[in-house]
Amino acid sequence: MLDLIAAFFIASGTVFFVAGTVGLLRFPDIFCRLHALTKADGLGLALIALGVGLLAGTPGEIFRIALVWSALAVASATCSHLVARYALRSGMEGRDD
Amino acid sequence: MCATSPLRPVSSAPVPGLTLADRPDMPADPPGRSVPALRSRGAAQRRTPLRRFALSVLVLSLIWGALTDWRADALVFGVPAVLLGAAIPLLLPDSAPWRLSVRGAVLFALWFAVQSVRGAVDVALRAFAPRMPLCPGFRDHSLRLPQGAPRIMFVNTITLLPGTLSAEIRDDVLRVHMLDTRMALEPALADLEIRIRQLFALPDGPEVSS
Repeated sequence: MLDLIAAFFIASGTVFFVAGTVGLLRFPDIFCRLHALTKADGLGLALIALGVGLLAGTPGEIFRIALVWSALAVASATCSHLVARYALRSGMEGRDD
Repeated sequence: MCATSPLRPVSSAPVPGLTLADRPDMPADPPGRSVPALRSRGAAQRRTPLRRFALSVLVLSLIWGALTDWRADALVFGVPAVLLGAAIPLLLPDSAPWRLSVRGAVLFALWFAVQSVRGAVDVALRAFAPRMPLCPGFRDHSLRLPQGAPRIMFVNTITLLPGTLSAEIRDDVLRVHMLDTRMALEPALADLEIRIRQLFALPDGPEVSS
């Protein structure tokens, strides 16, 4: 039963990773692409971490999974801000392709 | 153009090297920057460099121990890594002291989980939709939260809300990128600001004028 729930979480996490990648490819400019990467991939990793955490045996493993997730959550928001700021300041605002 | 901006991830405002708590002779805060009145005097005094170093060592040691399953032979790398890591905060400008409200943190974590799911579902649906309903653009928002942890939390959380992405901070103005500029931005940010104030046990800020 636990395996099934974990598999469900991991599978839905994968769906969000695919969505993030589709957004990265389809969205028109760098800022919209950042939305796709930070939000969809962030939730994708959270769901996968949840699923893997359910399967993990030891508290140490669960802690490490949680650590990975929290590091990524902080890093992705900060990095997307830095990328967006750089793009803004180098004059990419409103550039479509 | 970037010359005035120090390499700080989410705050391009000038950062004094010392907190006001360490330098009582420093001028008062500029107007418009609200300061947490509930900050206890004891919390400010506790943040001496030695205390900060000891706290960093403690936290990093716990992380290292959990990462290596408390293996003794890993300490060959662990001790230097922890000491180096703990020294890094001493090189950075001191941040303003802050504290968390437990109730605010629990409420915020739950709300954050729901919002990040909403944000991800929203962007995923837009990515998969054949016609891609996007109407991207920028909006400016005046930051009312105090500098430091509350503002960083605010700016980073915006990126995980549905349809918004914090793009740039200039002085006290945050530039937000929106996937759909027809969405209402200000109510969402005002709500987030209230939640951040609860999280950090800050007093209510100036009234929202709109």
